[in-house]
Amino acid sequence: MRFVLRMTVRELRASWRRLVFFFVCVAIGVGAIVALRSVIQNVRETLVREARAMMAADVRIGTNRGWTPEVRAIIDGHLAAAPVIARTETLETATMVRSPGGSAVARMVELRAVQPGFPFYGEIELEGGAPYSHDLLRGHGALARPELLAQLGIGVGDTLLIGGSPFTVRAVVAKEPGRRAGAFTLGSRVFIDYDDLVKTGLVTFGSRVRYEILLKVEDDGVDALTRRLRADLRDRFAGAWSYRMAEDDISEDLQRAEDYLSLVGFVIVVLGGIGVWSVTRVFVKQKIRSVAILKCVGATTRQVLGTYVLQVMLLGLVGSVLGIGLAAAGLAAIPDSLTATFGGAPAALTWSAVLQGAGVGLLVSLLFSLVPLLEVRRVKPLLLLRGGDASVMAGGPARPVMERLRGIDRVQAAVAVVVSIALAAVASWQAASVQVGLIVIGGFAGLALILWGAGVGLVRAIRPLARTRIFALRHAVLSLQRPGNQTRVILLAVGLGAFFVLGVRALQTNLLGEFSLELEQGGPDMFLIDIQQDQAEPLRAFLHEQAVPGAADARIIPVLRARVTAVRGAAVNLENVADVRGRGSLAREYTITYRDHLESNETLIEGAFWTGQGPLAADATELEVSIERSIHERFDIAVGDVMRFDVLGRVVEARVSSVRDVAWEDARNGGFMFVFRPGPLSRAPHTFIAILRAPESQAARAAFQHALVSAYPNVSAIDVREVLASVRDVVENVTLAVSIVGGIALFGGMLILIGAVAMTKFQRVYEAAILRTLGASSRTLTAMLAGEYTTLGLLAGVIGASGALVLSWAVCRFVFEIEWVPTPGLLIAGALITTALVAVIGVIASGDVLRRKPLATLRAE
Amino acid sequence: MIDLRGVTKSVPSGTGTLTILHPLDLSIASGTVAAITGPSGSGKSTLLGLVAGLDAPTAGQVIIDGVDITALDEDGLARLRGTRIGFVFQFFHLLPSLTAYENVLVPMEIAGVRDAEARAKTLLHEVGLAERGHHYPSQLSGGEQQRVAIARALANDPPLLLADEPTGNLDTSTGHAIIELLLGINRTRQTTLVLVTHDPELASRADVAIALRDGRVVEHRVQRPAAAVAEP
Repeated sequence: MRFVLRMTVRELRASWRRLVFFFVCVAIGVGAIVALRSVIQNVRETLVREARAMMAADVRIGTNRGWTPEVRAIIDGHLAAAPVIARTETLETATMVRSPGGSAVARMVELRAVQPGFPFYGEIELEGGAPYSHDLLRGHGALARPELLAQLGIGVGDTLLIGGSPFTVRAVVAKEPGRRAGAFTLGSRVFIDYDDLVKTGLVTFGSRVRYEILLKVEDDGVDALTRRLRADLRDRFAGAWSYRMAEDDISEDLQRAEDYLSLVGFVIVVLGGIGVWSVTRVFVKQKIRSVAILKCVGATTRQVLGTYVLQVMLLGLVGSVLGIGLAAAGLAAIPDSLTATFGGAPAALTWSAVLQGAGVGLLVSLLFSLVPLLEVRRVKPLLLLRGGDASVMAGGPARPVMERLRGIDRVQAAVAVVVSIALAAVASWQAASVQVGLIVIGGFAGLALILWGAGVGLVRAIRPLARTRIFALRHAVLSLQRPGNQTRVILLAVGLGAFFVLGVRALQTNLLGEFSLELEQGGPDMFLIDIQQDQAEPLRAFLHEQAVPGAADARIIPVLRARVTAVRGAAVNLENVADVRGRGSLAREYTITYRDHLESNETLIEGAFWTGQGPLAADATELEVSIERSIHERFDIAVGDVMRFDVLGRVVEARVSSVRDVAWEDARNGGFMFVFRPGPLSRAPHTFIAILRAPESQAARAAFQHALVSAYPNVSAIDVREVLASVRDVVENVTLAVSIVGGIALFGGMLILIGAVAMTKFQRVYEAAILRTLGASSRTLTAMLAGEYTTLGLLAGVIGASGALVLSWAVCRFVFEIEWVPTPGLLIAGALITTALVAVIGVIASGDVLRRKPLATLRAE
Repeated sequence: MIDLRGVTKSVPSGTGTLTILHPLDLSIASGTVAAITGPSGSGKSTLLGLVAGLDAPTAGQVIIDGVDITALDEDGLARLRGTRIGFVFQFFHLLPSLTAYENVLVPMEIAGVRDAEARAKTLLHEVGLAERGHHYPSQLSGGEQQRVAIARALANDPPLLLADEPTGNLDTSTGHAIIELLLGINRTRQTTLVLVTHDPELASRADVAIALRDGRVVEHRVQRPAAAVAEP
């Protein structure tokens, strides 16, 4: 062991420069893993710590339907038996506000009406440092955010009209627990008193209000109470949540994000691993004579192998430490504005991320170097008697396939299998999913196999060129197929690198394309919601009056909110709400409508629509419904099946008579999963929405909203332009993150390429020296190198780009379930850039080959 | 010391096999200086390789110090070479990444010798390189590299020293010095010395001269009895 240690130190002293790419390859991947994991762990810790403040309570009970006496009785029963310390109720709704005089502007806000006691945890911070108290809200007081006051041109002490009622702004909210900058909202926050909101009349039938009861409970009673409430409320469209569940939810979501991002890091590590493999392979070739000498003076194979494995582990360790340093530097460079988006989580390394990164770095170093290192077992000291010609064991002339198969080293093959399994295990560990781990490793193996095959094919295909009369070309071809060539290794490293980088970019393009962030010309840009039945007709006239010249008339569409409670069908049978819940999103609340025709953005794909058949009888017991294609495909519901719906407390049954395809990107007519045949539903209480094109200029738009809110205080306008701006901000953050990850991958891929080229350089320095001696000029040598690397780069680029095409298609189709758009420009550019990069880097990194004096090289050999 | 019984060596070549050594019996007594001569391709180096356990015979037994080394596995052979056999090559074959001193140290470290450092210095002193121990092979002349190789070969005080054309890569005067060094070692340490050489002067100074041609012993001449040494 002492010998192994000492030899390791001596060898490293001499060879670390040659192996510098080894630890750089490891460092990039480890850095990616450590940085990504650290960021998410920090965010999670911050959010979990704030979970109780975000909820403002220990237990929250909520519904979108209002508290019926029956539900209240159930809740009160449970609360009486539980160690409840305090209780308070809140209402939350999106509505329009404006100032009575001032500017003619109306804004949508997220209104929260609270009772005394709110919040039990966390603190509403007010500008100026005054403490929050419920007294500020009593008697039509309001608290608002500074940006709203600025938009309306009012200040503290001024009046704000909410639902037509005047409120006095008593203070400015600086910070509200649980609300973060950068998160998506419909509008800024306004607080008012609970009873005051009820008096405004905004809380009417069908309006979108969130009703909540907040509880402060003895800590040991939290879980039991939440469990009992959930059990009794689950079929009554209400739910209960404890702050611990919020913690768990946040934890779970972020854990998933952490695992996926770490998988990206792992993929970068694997790219680095390929670099490690290639470096080790060349390194072993250079060390054959030394190994033979060691064996000749009495070292056993185990001692020699031990020396080199230990070297690799030390380099892996150095690489990991370097990677951790890179991660720390990267995190320090994150701007504060970005960390503020995630609740001001600190950008620091976490121990768990550091340990995981270092573990993966060491494992990958060992796993990827083990197979090439095993070559030292086959080194025979006899070669020293033959003048130390290393080619004694390097491949030799081509042999028939069967003979080659017989010649496979069984130990090496067995280790290769074990290494593959270990890599799949590491991938599964990083993704926290065996399935994902297997898919990633399987994908890598598949692509590696294709690249390997392409390498073999390339060598075969260009063989005839070796007879060309052009000297440089002939030798470029010979270089690609000489014994022990690096063709396959470079193809593998560069091809996988190109695949990954282009794949990420293609996916990014597709994902961003999915958010169509531009409004179509003349299309609708505003939605009005919560229109009451008696307002529908006057509003239609109002909108007609206010219509933008040239724009299509506003459409007013009846809407009801409904839940699926049962399905009786050929392929699927769901007896009750619990069964439906087992089907995931089928159990969510849907907005439904009724009409007698198909819209222009709808196509019938199965069954028959009721166009021209008139409404159903008012007393019909079975209604007719047309479902959207995705409901049909995802839940196996088909024409002829009978579905039971709970429409705002009324149970109705409807037979599926057709399946429609909705072109969602065409928003002019809205889109509905369930469209009913007019009839009994038309007489049920419901509200309307309006879809319209509002004036474009800021002033005209503000005046329009102002006029609307003055005439219809309960109607809320969702400004699509503002929503898009909001979404755009979120998307920009996502793009930034994806670009950073893609950039790291690109950087890693380039380093591996440089490493691979630099390693092969040692082989060609000798050849170049001989060719020089025989009269080859630098120009000829450069042309040879350029020819060789351009061919390699082109092939690697084309295969990588093709792989990226398949990857982006598969991920769009099966993971994100979005429409796939090919990105030929990106992929062609990617393949060409790869070619150019490989050619340039290949020639530059071989500079030594061109510069070195032939005599020095020949003497050294 | 060395006993070869019916040793042959053949290798596959194209469609048939090429016989490098025909059945061969040979004994070399302990303490003897034996010179193996012959034209290129006569099987000299192959024979030396078989004696060192660097290669396995196609048939027959190679017995060193009473041990049939053809029955040993690779690691067994490595241990045997580490402790019982020293080897000097025509091309020196020093480890380029180690200093002269460290090159001498390596066999002793592998064998786990205790006072390896002191002994390595003594050996370098013996071969006249006491001052050059911290130099790397690339900083040494051919003759100096061969001296380091000899010091390395002597590291574990092996009873058998094998040398494959030890002067073949050196100029005449340096070659002389190396010959004197090797023969001096034989005299002072009673080491059995087997040399493969093209050098007639070196061959004439050996106790036994063995001439090979086409894989057969064509001459086995005892030039002077190794009087001081008894058969094992």
